[in-house]
Amino acid sequence: MVEIASPIAPIRRSVSYDPVIIALLGLAALLCFAKPILPDFLIRVPEAWVPPLANWLDTFFEFIKGDLDTGRPGLIHLTRWFAEGPLAFLLGVTANLLEGKHRWPFFDPLPWSTVAAVAAVIGYYLGGWRLALLGGGTFVWTALVGQWKIAMQTLSVLAVAAPLAFLIGLTLGIMAWKWGWFERMIKPVLAILQTIPFFTYLLPAVIFFKVGPTAGAIATTIYAIPPMVLMTTLGLKKVAPEIIEAGKMSGCTRLQMLFRVFIPSARTEILVGVNQVIMLCLAMVVLTAFIGMPGLGGKLLAMMNSFKLGRSFEIGVTIVLVAITLDRMSKAWVVKLPVHHERGTPWHIRHKYLVMAVAAFVFFLLLSQFVDILDKVGRKQSLSMGREIDTVIKGALAIDAVKSVTETIRYVLNVWVLIPFRNALLWIPTPAFILVVVAFAWGFGGKRPALFATAFFTTVAFSGWWDRSVITLYSVISAVILSVMIGVPLGILASRSKTWATRILLVCDTAQTFPSFIYLLPAIMLFGVSDVTVVLSIVIFTTVPLTRYTIEGLRNVPAEMTEAADMSGATRRQKLLNVQLPMALPTMAVGFNQAIMFAFFMVIIAAFIGTQDLGQELQRTLAGTDLGKNFVLGMNVALMALTFDLTLMSWAGKKNKMLGLSAR
Amino acid sequence: MSTQTPVIRCRNVWKLFGANPEQYLKTMPAGRSYEDIHADGYIAGVKDVSVDVGRGEMLVIMGLSGSGKSTLVRCFSRLHDITGGTIEVEGQDVMALSEKELIELRRSKMGMVFQSFGLLPHRTVLDNVAFPLEMRGQNRHDRRERALEVIKLVGLEGREDYFPRELSGGQQQRVGIARSLAIEPDIWFLDEPFSALDPLIRREMQDEFLRLQEMLGKTIVFITHDFDEALRLADRIAIMKNGAIEQCDTPDQIVLKPRTPYVRKFTEEIEKSRVVHAGVLAKPINGTAVEGDPVAGDLTIHQLARQLVGDTRDNLPVAGKDGALIGVLNRQTALDVLLGDG
Amino acid sequence: MNFRANLLASTAALSMTATVGFAEDSSDPIVIPIHNWSSQIVMSNVVGQIFEEMGNNVEYVTTDSQAVYESVRLGDVTLELEVWEGAFGASFRAALEKGGLHDAGDHNAVTREDWWYPMWTKDACPGLPSWEALNECASVFATAETGGKGRYLDGPVDWLKHGKERVEALGMDFVVINAGSAAALWAEIGAAEADKTPVVVFNWTPNFAEAVWPGEFVEFPEWVDGCDKDPSVGPNPDALYDCGNPAQGYLKKAAWDGMKDKWPDAYATLTKVSFTNAQIAEMAKLVDVDELEPEEAAAEWLEANEDVWRGWLPSGS
Repeated sequence: MVEIASPIAPIRRSVSYDPVIIALLGLAALLCFAKPILPDFLIRVPEAWVPPLANWLDTFFEFIKGDLDTGRPGLIHLTRWFAEGPLAFLLGVTANLLEGKHRWPFFDPLPWSTVAAVAAVIGYYLGGWRLALLGGGTFVWTALVGQWKIAMQTLSVLAVAAPLAFLIGLTLGIMAWKWGWFERMIKPVLAILQTIPFFTYLLPAVIFFKVGPTAGAIATTIYAIPPMVLMTTLGLKKVAPEIIEAGKMSGCTRLQMLFRVFIPSARTEILVGVNQVIMLCLAMVVLTAFIGMPGLGGKLLAMMNSFKLGRSFEIGVTIVLVAITLDRMSKAWVVKLPVHHERGTPWHIRHKYLVMAVAAFVFFLLLSQFVDILDKVGRKQSLSMGREIDTVIKGALAIDAVKSVTETIRYVLNVWVLIPFRNALLWIPTPAFILVVVAFAWGFGGKRPALFATAFFTTVAFSGWWDRSVITLYSVISAVILSVMIGVPLGILASRSKTWATRILLVCDTAQTFPSFIYLLPAIMLFGVSDVTVVLSIVIFTTVPLTRYTIEGLRNVPAEMTEAADMSGATRRQKLLNVQLPMALPTMAVGFNQAIMFAFFMVIIAAFIGTQDLGQELQRTLAGTDLGKNFVLGMNVALMALTFDLTLMSWAGKKNKMLGLSAR
Repeated sequence: MSTQTPVIRCRNVWKLFGANPEQYLKTMPAGRSYEDIHADGYIAGVKDVSVDVGRGEMLVIMGLSGSGKSTLVRCFSRLHDITGGTIEVEGQDVMALSEKELIELRRSKMGMVFQSFGLLPHRTVLDNVAFPLEMRGQNRHDRRERALEVIKLVGLEGREDYFPRELSGGQQQRVGIARSLAIEPDIWFLDEPFSALDPLIRREMQDEFLRLQEMLGKTIVFITHDFDEALRLADRIAIMKNGAIEQCDTPDQIVLKPRTPYVRKFTEEIEKSRVVHAGVLAKPINGTAVEGDPVAGDLTIHQLARQLVGDTRDNLPVAGKDGALIGVLNRQTALDVLLGDG
Repeated sequence: MNFRANLLASTAALSMTATVGFAEDSSDPIVIPIHNWSSQIVMSNVVGQIFEEMGNNVEYVTTDSQAVYESVRLGDVTLELEVWEGAFGASFRAALEKGGLHDAGDHNAVTREDWWYPMWTKDACPGLPSWEALNECASVFATAETGGKGRYLDGPVDWLKHGKERVEALGMDFVVINAGSAAALWAEIGAAEADKTPVVVFNWTPNFAEAVWPGEFVEFPEWVDGCDKDPSVGPNPDALYDCGNPAQGYLKKAAWDGMKDKWPDAYATLTKVSFTNAQIAEMAKLVDVDELEPEEAAAEWLEANEDVWRGWLPSGS
């Protein structure tokens, strides 16, 4: 076991010589050096001291849950009623309409060509030919590769989950805006929801809402709610006071104020919320397949388990296309402003898009009665290239040059970097580790984050899962450091020209929406089941926000500043180092923060590669009914993620204020 | 000024901002200055204001930013709840109104125009103007008809289907004015309606506004930080500083007899002859010998300048609107005003 | 427009069954869980189509293969067609203890899960399949991280395969790494395939992998009952898990307790359902090699094997 000197060094360099930090780090160093003579309880929290939190939680959950068999009253009666009543009904309706499931109103499924045509018209309405092509093209692709039915199964659930998340998010957002106490209460809950691993939702969703589309819809909804709440509150708070007063002076009642004045005026933010809801819903497509979500996700997992990379890849492409289509359309909708028609414009011109959509729908509906291929594309007719893609991917991965490069990377990273780093982190006594984290929080975030860091990491230490938490953190830190080394230079290069910025951002979008599961298999084939694979598959995901925010930060530096630098005779390099980067730093910090959050998300998925961290334990809890343990594990991940979130956001906020930039 | 009960009557109105203003106001010793109150951790938005607005009168509230003028007008319409004192609108104590009654009052009697227009961005001109009518539940046909009427009144015909962002600033404010007039309010509040506009447009809008007022004869509370605008429009001007009214008087009186040094500072730069009317300078006849044609009392000294310089009489008779003599104007006094020595 | 045809078929089936007189089954759908491996998906479709043939409504729901037992227990799903002794025995037994589901009989097929290697590995380590031979050429299986020791890729931890314990108990020169999922295992084999790198991984039968990569199980000391509970059993008197896994593990069906009463005919059929290893392999092949969709594969299999399943239907049909 190789031990590196101390992971403290890089942190110390970037902060000033605050006596508190020196004291904290000094104490940590002392604990490390004294490790051989330290009593055991200062190295790890002894088992006996760990409160049986999981058992308490189990008892608590069991109590509020109630029992269906014995009829003991509890929450489950309500949730089951909801799941089997209204929710199942709604899911039945959308499933009938989209894929022809045998449910009310018992229609035939829509021919794929009608859906594609209407999507094209909507795309045209929102963003001209390009979006029309994207919208129509996505559905044509889906039908032609023979994924129509499963894609519609997925969409039929999303068509319920997304509006549900929208409505709940909007309502909660309004409540948070209306009542300060509610906002103060819900903010931490949302923060936890945003950081807790998805596995923690899955089990309760199954127990309370019945395995199947219902549980899938609920887990998706819960996952998608937080940004909707935050955006709603933000939008409502931003409504100009004069508009509010104008509303009041027009004699609006409270309800009229809300629905006629506030919500329409907060349209932009609310629509941005809608966009985020859609994206998060799509992010859950694969994960919810574990609890009965039908469609693309389930198929993807099945394909991966029979090692069909080609067809997995095709499903991934479908998911990306659907995601990008919905993303672009909803974004176009955000910026789309109403335009007036001249007086006397005839009805069909004023509503020309509606007319076009209806016409296209009817046309293809009729046509598909005669031309079968426009109604359904059977498996045997489909243009799926699964086998060919499979061969290409597997062939590419097996090229000797690729193999020798990956072998080297695997060896160097694993043997010289990752494993020593992991062992070093595991070697550090728990209190010293906490002190270092607190010093980091203090140095960057200040007092408040430092207090939270103390509380959060102490809780983790007493949860009984310290080592696994440290391993989780190790993967996260390694991946984030690597992606800083890749993402930031990439962002700097891309920000030099607009075309490149656009191109790289498109790559970012694609990488972000491509189901992370699909990376895992090629990654394993390249690097084997090892820490390198785990870290690199996280890196793919975390590099995206770093690159994106670097580009955004650099491109948004006010023109006068770069011009001033030019006029001062700065070279490109001087300008970058002295003007652009310092100005972009707060924005980049937001990207850095997001990268860490993504890493905490992805590290759990990486459990499918094979890890010894919290993710692996979480995956294990899926098998049983250990709600308590499941929750404790999830909390550990959330607490660690929140520590970073609080610290970095606080730092970015302070920096922004210092630079006189508006806070994000 | 009307002798009937005033439309708006406020007595000792206080509006304090801070942690617990009601409690503070109750225990506050009399005579605390703005600064004292500030030192106690409170801000006196409106400080002990008593003022009446008569029917058909245009009261202009003038003051620099932060002087409390906007706060005061929002107290009138109860957009702000006052901390102390009473405000009566048409004889009703506004603070005693229930939410329903307040909404009813606003729906039937009040209109307000805002500095940055306060238009709803997602509604067309027509829908913005019809908004107050929609709120009070008028049917679609009626409100459309009425909205078109006011839109025509403010000269925006043909722009009914435009959205606010498709209009210039001046046009947007016309929409704001049309909206405030849609319900045919008795009381019209205008909060710096022209401050956000370019100087040229501002002038044009002021003329437009005077034309409208001529036609409608509303009771108006008009807020401005522009003293020229105040002089141009007002029946009476209330000058505010630190939440309190320094002086509330006709433009002539303010110019002629500024009551505080603060008010005087405003009047110093003003060409008084353009403000002061002959009727105001006129003294009772009381045996003064008058001869010749009378001058009209509602003309300003500036408008009479040529005649004053050319005339040889020491004292000129002044006639009221109905032609009856109301007094004599001492030519020297008038010339002093004209030359700025008054 | 498949649905119309379905409707016709099902009404026809209904009227037919009504006349024959076993329409006592509830018209609520029988919910069949689907997991993420081919044989199970096809088998579920096969049994589902048999139920439909009998006039029942059937619905499929995608679930996790471990979490499903809790759902069967609650009646959210009605049955489970593939309960593997090794992989799911623990979850199944746990749910059994809690109550709500029961054992609905075994398939004819036997299952085996153990250390496995693809055929090309034999070239590097000719002594295989004996475990002693494997241990002797441990260094052949070494990788960057394992030092000189051999690397064995075990199944996910939650499958409870006890690879580490066995390595210790038998004093093997191997490092055990746990894969996170079945897919991770295939990826490793797939990567090794290109240049025929020797690997030893966890695998099982019946499984599609047999068709793609021919291979063999490593022969460990034969399983003796109690090997996992009593240290004295097996070659090492002081350790548990010092033998191979049972070479003849069961493959069970499980049913929700309420199924018997709600769909008595379907339940009776379920208890009779039994597939052989060959049949299961055939089902998997239709999807994995012939690239059929599961429902098509099921229909094809049913058509080709009518003699097998007709006998499972209630008498009279």
